[in-house]
Amino acid sequence: MSRPDRVVAGSFVVAILAAFGLFFVYLRGGQTQLEGALLFLTLGGIGVGLLVWAKRLMPQIVDETQSRHHAPVAEQEQQEAAETVMGGVDELKRRTFLSRLLVGAAGALGLAALFPIRSLGQVPGDTPFFTKWKRGSRLVDVGGNVVTTDTLNVDSFTTVFPEGSVGSADSQAVLIKVEPDLLQLPADRAEGAPEGLVCYSKVCTHAGCPLGLYLAADHELRCPCHQSTFNVLNGAKPVYGPAPRPLPQLLIEVDDDGSLVAKGDFTEPVGPAFWNITDGPP
Amino acid sequence: MISKRLVEGVDDRLDASSFIARNLKKVFPDHWSFMLGELALYSFILLILTGTFLAMFYVASPDQITYRGPYEPLQGRSVSLAYNSVLHLTFEVRAGLVMRQTHHWSALVFMAAIVAHMLRVFFTGAFRKPREMSWLLGVGLVVSGIGAGFTGYSLPDDLLSGVGLRIAYSIAQSIPFVGNWLASVFFGGEFPGTALLPRLLALHIFIIPLAILGLMSAHLAIVWHQTHTQFKGPGRTNETVTGTPVWPKFALKSVGLGFVTFGVLTLLGGLFQINPVWFYGPYVPYSGPSPSQPDWYAGWLEGLLRLWPNWEFTIFGVTIGELFLPAIVVPGIMFTLLAAWPFLEARFSGDRGWHNFAQKPREAPLRSGLGAAAVALMVVLFLAGSNDVLAKYLQIEVDTFNTVLRWSAFVLPVVAGVATFLVCRDLRDRPRSPIARPEAMTVRRTTAGGFEELHEPRAGAAADDEVRAP
Amino acid sequence: MTRKSAEARLLSRVLRIGLVLVVGGQILWSLRPAPGQAFSQAGEQGRALYEASCSTCHGLQAEGTVNGPSLQGSGSAAVSFMLTSGRMPLAAPGDQPTRQPPKFDDEQIDAIVAYLAEIAPGGPPIPTVDTSQGSLAEGSALFLDNCSGCHSAAGVGDSVGGGQIAPNLMPATATQIGEAARIGPGLMPVFDEDNLSEQDLNSIAAYLHWLRDNGDEGGLQLGRVGAVAEGLVAFVVGLGLLFLVVRLTGSKV
Repeated sequence: MSRPDRVVAGSFVVAILAAFGLFFVYLRGGQTQLEGALLFLTLGGIGVGLLVWAKRLMPQIVDETQSRHHAPVAEQEQQEAAETVMGGVDELKRRTFLSRLLVGAAGALGLAALFPIRSLGQVPGDTPFFTKWKRGSRLVDVGGNVVTTDTLNVDSFTTVFPEGSVGSADSQAVLIKVEPDLLQLPADRAEGAPEGLVCYSKVCTHAGCPLGLYLAADHELRCPCHQSTFNVLNGAKPVYGPAPRPLPQLLIEVDDDGSLVAKGDFTEPVGPAFWNITDGPP
Repeated sequence: MISKRLVEGVDDRLDASSFIARNLKKVFPDHWSFMLGELALYSFILLILTGTFLAMFYVASPDQITYRGPYEPLQGRSVSLAYNSVLHLTFEVRAGLVMRQTHHWSALVFMAAIVAHMLRVFFTGAFRKPREMSWLLGVGLVVSGIGAGFTGYSLPDDLLSGVGLRIAYSIAQSIPFVGNWLASVFFGGEFPGTALLPRLLALHIFIIPLAILGLMSAHLAIVWHQTHTQFKGPGRTNETVTGTPVWPKFALKSVGLGFVTFGVLTLLGGLFQINPVWFYGPYVPYSGPSPSQPDWYAGWLEGLLRLWPNWEFTIFGVTIGELFLPAIVVPGIMFTLLAAWPFLEARFSGDRGWHNFAQKPREAPLRSGLGAAAVALMVVLFLAGSNDVLAKYLQIEVDTFNTVLRWSAFVLPVVAGVATFLVCRDLRDRPRSPIARPEAMTVRRTTAGGFEELHEPRAGAAADDEVRAP
Repeated sequence: MTRKSAEARLLSRVLRIGLVLVVGGQILWSLRPAPGQAFSQAGEQGRALYEASCSTCHGLQAEGTVNGPSLQGSGSAAVSFMLTSGRMPLAAPGDQPTRQPPKFDDEQIDAIVAYLAEIAPGGPPIPTVDTSQGSLAEGSALFLDNCSGCHSAAGVGDSVGGGQIAPNLMPATATQIGEAARIGPGLMPVFDEDNLSEQDLNSIAAYLHWLRDNGDEGGLQLGRVGAVAEGLVAFVVGLGLLFLVVRLTGSKV
């Protein structure tokens, strides 16, 4: 046997053995790494065998030349083809009025065919402008526990939702406690941040990712997706990254029993901008 | 199995003898760089095969169930039926994980092979007349591939891919006038919506694969019909093609390559962990892990989003969301330029000839320079998309890295483009070294007693492409 | 005896007594115990170690200097965390504190912790973290919700900006995990008992320790970093191997 012969034979033998190995591994319950390695040997064995067979054992015809068959198109034939096509088109065009109506009908059908897209789902309406937060909504954490003024220490943060809507995608908010004298909020906003507890929407205004990073020593909220960074002391204005707008703030107040409640919905619509965000709800 | 009788029987019924004879004898050039497209083809075939298996197990439902499978850290968690089905496949179905991982690795390598193939076609000018249609079909395949990948890795409904879906929703929202409407209608309401997973499944296993099959078939049929390009060489002309007949050598070589491709992909699938969704947990809208990147073929878009400045405009009451430019307009321009390239080049070079020769990149310095600039820009964008991971491993400050990348996005393409242009031009214009290809030489003994050399032009030097009148 | 000699004798007696008193007083003064501290071996060791390795930056009374912050109220958890993870002492002030082999052994660390508890009381104590009490399922949920944003879904860490990297948690002991949560070192926020209870810490630590040896059914973990590593492998290993095959199989002309 010549050398390529032996390589091909060997490859196929390896493939056969590996395939049996696969049966064995599978019957014994399977194991991912073994399965991968044995598949590699089976498939690769067949592949290498075929490649070497084709390249080395088959007749070495590598320089056969053929015409590409692109004959210059006969003038007459081209003329004939064009005339055949245009003949039909002209026949339609001859009746200008009718063909215009046909175009109109086709266009109208096309427009009508777009309508089922509407059936796919809900129109947004005014939902982008509102969340589930209302005046008096109690703040609860992921576990549904009511959040009080004792829950957080300085430099702590937690994710909060309106009571009854734990896990809500648009209502999610992050509650942070800072040293009260560090806050630089305007007066009307500062009222909604009692005892250094300030609450912002957790939905990044860049592309909507949840703001999972709180860099406590720098008092910055950062987004894991594209690194938008917001300063929590001055109303979550963006200080770095592609986010264009500050995070909406949730103004909160302390209830009689020490629990935290919202004074209303967020100060702006949450999340990234949409075209009529400045208009307000319809 | 395949006997003469069988062939004659088929031929008899279909009148196929001339078709069979002609096509099996067709020759194909076998330069190694012409095989890159086949890598993509075979990766796609494996995607179909493994994907069929996965489709037998996947449940496209967002309805919640309590996880009771063997993976301890998720015991008792509320997860979607979709996520649960993927965990079941991973931990409880024999060969489930190797199939899933092979499928995902095949997708990554499919896209990588497409890019390698596309670069080869670009830098050798193989998209020129008459092959512009093949190029357009190819651009369609790139876009479809990205779509297939994105819908595919979003199916498990895990935390990481869910964050990606949120970004997609926001990108849709940024489109003026119709954005919010489109996003809400397609997802079934405000994010996360109620309708998404079954739609992703329809896209991923039916609509997009159909598109890819159609585009790929047309692409292959045109290549077959027009015959493949080839590099210049002795005995080669613009009207002929030189190579190996399809049957048996070329076909078997190709099938062999296919099996080797399957082997490499299954090796990856068994030995290299990919998309370990059990670490990410089920998707919840209020959590987001870091780092978070999409699959590599969307990394350029991720880089654009990370580097783009925070510009947002409101013009006449219409707010153009910050995402609109980097996520819709710029990619739109990129793919339009890509698709239009054969026509743009023909226009600007004035070359409307019929080209069956593939060029060496040095033969078209301007195109190669522009291509190198584009590649350099994409490299910068891919680096930007991975910035936090790279910063961790290189121990550099990520925000400083971003600044460097922003400058690089302008500087590097210019440097790469100009350098490539100059090198190509220099290589092209430099006279050929006689040592490189020995010339045919006649040595004649003179009557005076010495020897003289008679230099002849190299035998078989290919004539330049003949330019056909349009 | 003359009057002069009697005076001289009195003076010399006074002087001698005075000398004894002064010298004795000096000796006694130098042997005085440190203010408010029992004179013990361990305490002495803690003070010696602190003054030798820490006081240049943190001050002799842990009051801070231009080179390092005050440790008043930082808590034993902070001292223990920094020392057991080798973050402190820093090689040079201004260095980024990163995990290193600890410079002191456990006994020495205990001594320093005890000493600082005296001179800088208050702050979070060293928590008791018992992974055997923890629940993996709760731990993974808590970790994903509270920690994965900086430390990654599998706890391998990531850059977080501000020049810092949230570190890989695999080398951390259960106590260190609890300590870090309670003190919020570097840019990390603080998680006190109301935020993450003792049982929560048990579960998170249990989960992180479980992650050390489990979870890689799929094969090589590639740093558990996700799509970036996977893309690199797809190109280098996947396309790379196939490229080699293609080069070997096809012709070069």
